[in-house]
Amino acid sequence: MTFQIMINLLMALIWMFMNDAWTFASFISGYAIGVAVLFFLRGFFPQRFYFGWIYSVVKLILIFLKELVLSAAEVVGQILQPKLKIKPGIFAMDIHLQRNWEVTVLSCLITLTPGTLVVDVSPDNKTLYIHAMHLPDTEAAKQDIRESFEKAIQEVSRT
Amino acid sequence: MKSNDVILQTVTNIVLFIILMFSVFIFFNGHHEPGGGFIGGLMTSSALVLLLLAYDLETVKRVLPVDFKHVTAAGLLVAVGTGMGSFFFDAPFLSQTYGYRHFPVLGELELATALIFDIGVYLVVVGITLTIIQTIGEDR
Repeated sequence: MTFQIMINLLMALIWMFMNDAWTFASFISGYAIGVAVLFFLRGFFPQRFYFGWIYSVVKLILIFLKELVLSAAEVVGQILQPKLKIKPGIFAMDIHLQRNWEVTVLSCLITLTPGTLVVDVSPDNKTLYIHAMHLPDTEAAKQDIRESFEKAIQEVSRT
Repeated sequence: MKSNDVILQTVTNIVLFIILMFSVFIFFNGHHEPGGGFIGGLMTSSALVLLLLAYDLETVKRVLPVDFKHVTAAGLLVAVGTGMGSFFFDAPFLSQTYGYRHFPVLGELELATALIFDIGVYLVVVGITLTIIQTIGEDR
């Protein structure tokens, strides 16, 4: 991934040297040509072509925005009810993520969406303890997080 | 029961570089805009304090094998040295000058001897702050 980006920047620089044009426009055109060459030779690299990685990062951001709007609407609906019918609770959720940054990003996304909040991480990074505002069904909540965030994060870190 | 600091440590690893860059920016800004040696030194110290909060004292000592008392002494030496430097030009103690010099790549730059004095202030602030915090934080 980083290696491919470095090669691409180097190719843009070489393109600027060849044209003897030190402008942003020539850098952009050299970078685009570098992307085309890298796409042509993508079979040589052990990792996947890095535009797939950029695509999955953008997808994760869009999923986050969608979840933010949906859960914020749900929280507002709970607040505006005359009688409180919420059942708060804390549940443990096993996660299948390897690296530290993945656990951090998942915890931040869960905390930033209203209604759920990461309370603690187990010492072996295998379990998150999540507090939920309204918890009618624990399994459904776990399934919801798995479907939305964890899959997308695994997609980002896929080599 | 030791708690798991994985989130704090990961965020620290990223934010530390931003804080250090900002402290250097504020240090060089001090000539014409708000900023300068004192606030830049405090900003650098706060970055290292964040490192101390996220990890422990032994880790930070392994990453930065610096005795901060020596940093304070070096800063004082630089500050006094700029004052002494004015004697070579038959000027009174701590008088300062500035000039414009042309550099091959960077172009026209303003050079001031006050910046060297500011580096001394910066080093003194970093050294004293971290000496205080490490002395308080150490187990006896």
